[in-house]
Amino acid sequence: MRIEIDHSLTCSLPPGTAQLVMHLLLTPGSGPTQSVDSWSVEVAGIGNAGRFRDGFGNAAHLVNQSRPEGDLAIGVRGVVTTQDTNGVLGKPAGEPVAALYRRVTPLTKAPVTLYGKYRTTKESRLDVLHGLMARVGETLGLPAEPAPEAQMQATGEQVQSQKAEAAPELPPAADFVHLYIGAARALDIPARFVCGYLAPDDEIEGGLHAWAEAYDDGLGWIGFDPRYQLCPTERYVRLAVGLDAESALPLRTVPVGEVTQKARVTAA
Amino acid sequence: MGEKTPFDEMYNPDGSVREPYRALSEWLAEQPDKALALMQTDAEAIFRRLGITFAVYGSDEGTEKVIPFDVIPRIIAANEWRRLSKGIEQRVKALNAFLYDIYHRQEILKAGRVPEKLILNNEAFCPQMMGLEPAKGVYAHIIGVDIVRVGPDEFYVLEDNLRTPSGVSYMLEDREAMMLLAPDLFHRSKVAPVETYPENLRRTLESVAPDSVRGTPNIAVLTPGIYNSAYFEHSFLADQMGAQLCEGPDLFVDGGKVYMRTTTGPEQVDVIYRRIDDDYLDPLTFRPDSMLGVPGLFDAYRAGNVTLVNAPGTGIADDKAVYTYVPDIIEFYLGEKALLQNVPTYNCTDDDQRAWVLENIHDLVVKEVHGSGGYGMMVGPTATKAMHAEFRKKIEARPDNYIVQPTLNLSTCPTHISGDVAPRHVDLRPYVLVGDEVRITPGGLTRVALKKGSLVVNSSQGGGTKDTWVLED
Repeated sequence: MRIEIDHSLTCSLPPGTAQLVMHLLLTPGSGPTQSVDSWSVEVAGIGNAGRFRDGFGNAAHLVNQSRPEGDLAIGVRGVVTTQDTNGVLGKPAGEPVAALYRRVTPLTKAPVTLYGKYRTTKESRLDVLHGLMARVGETLGLPAEPAPEAQMQATGEQVQSQKAEAAPELPPAADFVHLYIGAARALDIPARFVCGYLAPDDEIEGGLHAWAEAYDDGLGWIGFDPRYQLCPTERYVRLAVGLDAESALPLRTVPVGEVTQKARVTAA
Repeated sequence: MGEKTPFDEMYNPDGSVREPYRALSEWLAEQPDKALALMQTDAEAIFRRLGITFAVYGSDEGTEKVIPFDVIPRIIAANEWRRLSKGIEQRVKALNAFLYDIYHRQEILKAGRVPEKLILNNEAFCPQMMGLEPAKGVYAHIIGVDIVRVGPDEFYVLEDNLRTPSGVSYMLEDREAMMLLAPDLFHRSKVAPVETYPENLRRTLESVAPDSVRGTPNIAVLTPGIYNSAYFEHSFLADQMGAQLCEGPDLFVDGGKVYMRTTTGPEQVDVIYRRIDDDYLDPLTFRPDSMLGVPGLFDAYRAGNVTLVNAPGTGIADDKAVYTYVPDIIEFYLGEKALLQNVPTYNCTDDDQRAWVLENIHDLVVKEVHGSGGYGMMVGPTATKAMHAEFRKKIEARPDNYIVQPTLNLSTCPTHISGDVAPRHVDLRPYVLVGDEVRITPGGLTRVALKKGSLVVNSSQGGGTKDTWVLED
């Protein structure tokens, strides 16, 4: 699937900022699930940026601006062709050892009630990972679904009130991912945070998104999206990975400012 | 170890003088009354003039103190030093190999020789360092290995300091003072020089400059500033090496490179000997509230445009919980047995060991896993009953936060105590430089516990220093 991305970020800066330094993780890489056809990051100072791979294998930029005028504005545009691999990323080269992603961070802690039953399970790792995805959904909320007919017939009133609450605001995707990662790591399964783009379909709005990847010794990295309860499809574009949302943040700045961002993602 | 009389480095049990101390013993006998006391007064004046001071945290009386200096040197024979320096070299090579492995393929964890959780969930482990290729493959360039002696041939490593070990300026100033105070004694002995340290430090730093550097690399010493307890040392070393002393605001990144503000415009910096802790080094990557660091410094390092000395994340190799694995680490990477021994260390997370520790705490030394400088530790035999009880509680509450070791009967050296000479306990911190080669300064810093019977040598806890003489053949 050919996906077009138009991602804009702004960051409000304290008045009188003399030096602005930023760390960008805004360049996706090509791999088993996607190939980047074209990509551009536009921001003052990008021309002579420091370019490097960070500790997680992401392509990163170190950009600085002297006496920036007004708010920081970054424009990211590109085209990525994706393919459906049933969520399997495999074992791409140039990545740190998977064990790194067993490190527990302050953002990735899960209650034992979530994963406890898998501690002694005989299920395969793949089944455990799917099971965890369901458990995270049960804990934080499941995506809105049209109520099944059988229920409709039961007690009309109850169903109606359920319908009125059918689409309560779910927590941000990152919360689902952190809980999922925390549970997987508690079971000694390497798991990581993925920041990326999601192309819309009839039910899903699309835009910037976050999901998880967990490691299976045989298959390698496999994506799990606990927010939408599915493994990534060809509508998913990977941008950056890390231990948690903080380490995969697309934009970090000094001085710190308030970042607002919007991504228009269109499937061609 | 334990109840025996401590090993006296000057006298044999029969009262005869040990060979390395012969010249000193003769010289001491020749000194007229009060000569030592006069020397001590002179020494005080020299150190005040040199401005060598240190800060004691949590003390009310003034910020800066002159560190007590003992006018009687500690002497190590050439053959003793050869053994020690071989063991030290082996250790620092293995620890650097360990760091490379931990931040790359982690073979030692896969092999199960060091527990994975101990490393990966350790605060001192720095995930941002993964995959980075440091110049010459070196992570810890400047190391201070703390060693104690308990017998003629028995040396133990207490800890490896791979973050930003301090004290080397005392080693240099102690030598300078000693040469002024007792030139005649100095000339009677063939003493290996230590004054080459700044030159060797400079060479080491230059040898690990990024590959892209043409010509002589530009070196800066990055200090947290004048309120740091070792500020004197930072400015001293910069001065001795002919390098710039900088604080965070003096440096900035531009176009992925690091520059220093100078009166004649920005100057690119190639190697930074930083004396700021990892957490405070760069608010863009580490603690965002740090005012001491340089925003973007770590990214410039990752981009290969500057070398940080020591590398961030070296603390994982001198973590007190990792310490117990150093003999395995040496075997794993070098295929050799450790030449220097570790102090036996009890693991309080093990129920049996903890029970034994709690029962025998009055005989043991308890250290906080992340503590340093003698803070947060307890020496059982000299501590009060109340302190024993307090540390028992602490260990029970957080067994993983403490390591426990037997009280080592540190060797003693003759020390000047109000006009007399009396034995006092000492330790030794040799300084090691690792770059294109391993350079170990002969001797190091000898710290002496000036209180009779005391085993705590830290300057923050009433310890002093001595000049350390390694004799040449």
